[in-house]
Amino acid sequence: MITQARQPEIDKRVVIDVDRCVECQSCAAACFAGHARMPAVSFARAGWALLPLICRQCKAPACVDACPAEAMVRDEAGIVRRRLFRCVGCGSCAQACPFGVISDSLAGTPGTIKSPGELSGHQISKCDLCADRLAADAKAVPRCVAACPSGALRFVDEHQAEADGLLIIGGRSAADHLYKRR
Amino acid sequence: MCSDTPKQEPRSRCTLCPAGCELRIGGPGAGGYQSEPPMVGGAGLCPRGLAIGELLDAPGRIRWATRRLDGRRHEIGLAEAARAIVAAAGDRDLVFFLDGALPCEQLLAADAWCRAWPRAKLCVVLEPAERELLLGTEASGAAYLSDADLAGCDGFLIVGDAFAANPACSRGVFDRRAADARAAIIVIDPGGGSAAKFATCRVAAPPGAELAAIAELARAAGVDCPPIAPPDGMDVRSARSAGLALAGCKRLAIILAAEYGRGGDWRQIGYLAGRLAGSLGGGVACQTTGANALAAVRLGPRLAAINLADALARQDAAWVTVGCDLLGMLGIRGREILAAGAAFANRSTEAAEFVMPAAIAMELGGMYLLGGQRQVCLEAVLPPPAGVLEPADVIGSIARAAGVEAPGPTTAVGALSRLAAAAPSIPAGCAAAAAAAAAAAPPVLMLGRQAADAGCGELTAHASWQLAVGSPPSVRLAAADARRIGVKDLDMVEVRTGELSVRARVRIDHALDAGAVVLPEALREARAMCPLQVSPATEAVVASPGTVNIEAANDYASQTA
Repeated sequence: MITQARQPEIDKRVVIDVDRCVECQSCAAACFAGHARMPAVSFARAGWALLPLICRQCKAPACVDACPAEAMVRDEAGIVRRRLFRCVGCGSCAQACPFGVISDSLAGTPGTIKSPGELSGHQISKCDLCADRLAADAKAVPRCVAACPSGALRFVDEHQAEADGLLIIGGRSAADHLYKRR
Repeated sequence: MCSDTPKQEPRSRCTLCPAGCELRIGGPGAGGYQSEPPMVGGAGLCPRGLAIGELLDAPGRIRWATRRLDGRRHEIGLAEAARAIVAAAGDRDLVFFLDGALPCEQLLAADAWCRAWPRAKLCVVLEPAERELLLGTEASGAAYLSDADLAGCDGFLIVGDAFAANPACSRGVFDRRAADARAAIIVIDPGGGSAAKFATCRVAAPPGAELAAIAELARAAGVDCPPIAPPDGMDVRSARSAGLALAGCKRLAIILAAEYGRGGDWRQIGYLAGRLAGSLGGGVACQTTGANALAAVRLGPRLAAINLADALARQDAAWVTVGCDLLGMLGIRGREILAAGAAFANRSTEAAEFVMPAAIAMELGGMYLLGGQRQVCLEAVLPPPAGVLEPADVIGSIARAAGVEAPGPTTAVGALSRLAAAAPSIPAGCAAAAAAAAAAAPPVLMLGRQAADAGCGELTAHASWQLAVGSPPSVRLAAADARRIGVKDLDMVEVRTGELSVRARVRIDHALDAGAVVLPEALREARAMCPLQVSPATEAVVASPGTVNIEAANDYASQTA
């Protein structure tokens, strides 16, 4: 059941250890295969590296506020999801996202290419943390994390990430003070 | 060390590289079968493995035998096709080019049919550079390291883009680096691939100079090695400092990826790498196309097969490809093929008069040698579709049509023990390709491996994600070359040599040395741009880096592609 009244927070997020990403794009391919060929993993070139961009499931998601069709909602598990039959593909969420993880196109990067003949153009891809896998097995991880051969992507809570020496760049400050920053 | 008692593996595994990653098949749903990484406990699944599920039941799958008449393909029955192939062959001998990445049982069964048929010769096809590399490592006596073993090593030498060849092997390297930040990661890769970005020391070597670089490095590390004259453009000092960095290793891992079109020294490279790793208490990890390349090499002496150079020299024979895209892999153009057994359309099926449906490796259970260590019996992920033959049965059906009696049951695979191969001679001036490249005007074309595709892409290029991201292909250029040509990131260019050309999108790669141009190894058009020849000394098929011209493609169609 989906509700907007509560604002629960998810326990775990997908974080990337940039020192391990070998740019194999397994995450994007797994997302593409598991989400009806509408991958929610984008890529951004940062210097020499081509890094995956995966939704941070913000605590104060700008995409939810920006969506005019109320297609973007936070569900009871705390996951920011796109409701398939409400999305009109206007791209407001993509414009609002401060991290650029929701995007219809990222100049030539392959992650957001959609297949001809699919629902492309009328839908925006949005990471739901592979809710089907998480519902099927409590120990399961999203497809992008499970597919990552180098161990760069991890599905961890913030404390675990910090214990592992990973820094969640901008995650908490941007989420808590999103509008101040903007 | 290979175990004598193979274990039955209950889980589905990808066999497109030595990692043998675990996968699960979902479906069939509206979108057909899907392969997925396991819910828990998996060690990753790269785009190649993720393509497998879709390929099992893809719409483009070849399911019926066809014959080309008047430029069009007509369906015929399998038995009729086999009889027509025999009739069309006439008095000619037949050469069967069989994919070497298949389970061992398929190779033995195909060999049994060809032994029973005097007019038939079998050629087990592996990527030419990889076959040479494996022969060299076998001769060196070095131990083979699995992906799991890498975390226990304290130094790494990576030749070629091993992280693209097998992304799973990077995990052990990073695990070790996380535990010990001083662990050296030395990379020799003129193509500047993904592994080069993680190097603690990168040995600058021009295309084709890998052997000279390893030799210099080995000598600096204190390993007895004949001196090899370094070619122009090789940074001898970086090789020596890399050797000194590795000299203190107690367990050195050498991870090797023999990419197509990089020259002809791979047997010597494998041998030297094995010697170096053995001297420093470690081993080698050869990242081949297909999980069973080493098994095919070890089975070689048991098969009455001819080598690839001999097979290609038999121009008057009727060629039949089974499970491999021979023409695409070697970039051969203009050669007619009598028949091709394949799962998907490729260059060989386009050139073939007859096409037979053939199962892919994941649809065949059998013996594999994973990572050079684990001899395991894998089950088929799914059985082949109805009416689709196993590769050995493609040969068998043609042989039966020629009146050959079925051979007796093939012998069990048994232990795939190490080859007793002789050490290759290491020439003093090995870097012919490098010298040629240095003398010629830049840029020099190299082919780089990609995690998305296996081999020349005869299978994986048919998967939807690969189709979505692979068109137009990307060409990696050094920033200096891009400036010289007058193009920037994401511009379209035309890479041309002689009559051949490829339109590709520019990716400026800061890890690439000026003068080098890298196209995907899975791009068959690019493979055709690498000159192919047979080495007279080793009878190995060698593809060398070629020189190309690059021009900006400024027309509207290119910019909007």
